[in-house]
Amino acid sequence: MDRQAILDELKKVLLPYTENKELLNGITEDTDLLKDLKINSANLVDIIIDAESKYNIEIDFDSAEKMMTVRDCINVIAEKVNA
Amino acid sequence: MQSAGNDIIALDLTDKQRSNDSRFYSKILSESEKKYYCHSPLAGMEFEYFLWLCWSVKESAYKYLKRIQPGLIFSPTRIEIVHVAIPVNGKFEQPECIQWEGPAQGEKCYNGRFVFEGNTYYFRSKIYPGMITTVVNADESFEHVSWGFDSIDDTGSEHQSKAVRAFLLQKLQTILPGKELRIEKAAAGYPVVFSGTEELDIPVSFAHHGSYIAYSFYLPDYRCSEDEELFSLFHYTRDWKSRKEDLYHPISTL
Repeated sequence: MDRQAILDELKKVLLPYTENKELLNGITEDTDLLKDLKINSANLVDIIIDAESKYNIEIDFDSAEKMMTVRDCINVIAEKVNA
Repeated sequence: MQSAGNDIIALDLTDKQRSNDSRFYSKILSESEKKYYCHSPLAGMEFEYFLWLCWSVKESAYKYLKRIQPGLIFSPTRIEIVHVAIPVNGKFEQPECIQWEGPAQGEKCYNGRFVFEGNTYYFRSKIYPGMITTVVNADESFEHVSWGFDSIDDTGSEHQSKAVRAFLLQKLQTILPGKELRIEKAAAGYPVVFSGTEELDIPVSFAHHGSYIAYSFYLPDYRCSEDEELFSLFHYTRDWKSRKEDLYHPISTL
């Protein structure tokens, strides 16, 4: 699964937790989930759980704590999916 | 180094079913915290409340520690709650008002300890049927820590952000009259208070979630008194709501 495919699916994971849905159209790997997408930190665990279900993977504690930017998320998901 | 950290959780925005799913709560609670829930006075509390109490402590702790360790990454299970005492007057208080400000002391709070990297820190929390708010500190006394929370009608993130800054600045202006205060964010993400070009040595923290906003700050030269708390309640009942609409309105703030 390439990074673009992961990004496309990741947008769907982030959609319910992003107040301004239009921001998702312009996200790049540098986009920060909290600062740029204004996602509330209380939803970070929701995103990890949804990503686990979407990709049928398990994201452990050490990986989950790195998922602050889109790049971090893609790195973690790519590592698990392609393992 | 002194710091500040707080959090607020609007329980209507949390997913009750998911909160009780072990896949979900195991990413927040450590194994010992799960056991603690079952064997402590908190066992009578709905698990959902326990979980979000723990989250609010951990989020507050992260904010507190981030100012001291700017490179810190949030890892909820590594911030471990080791003790929680329930308020002497019962588990749940009905909110006497929507807006509250006062000292982070007294018997009306849940209070407890948590450990991070071998160091012990302390927290105070208030739990209402729809909301949980927490403040943390390195000193158990909380003597110089003040906090407050309020509710807002417009829950858009931009308005939340402006409203919580206005709420905090209004409080600080009463302590530091005559100063033109403003809040900026440090590169690491924590808020910093400025008076003109001077960065003030007042660690502050704020939080917002849904229709709730909250602040905390540490100020050694200031001790929020019980009288002030009562005044705040009185103030609310008289005219706070109408003043708040002006204060928090995006056009009239900051």
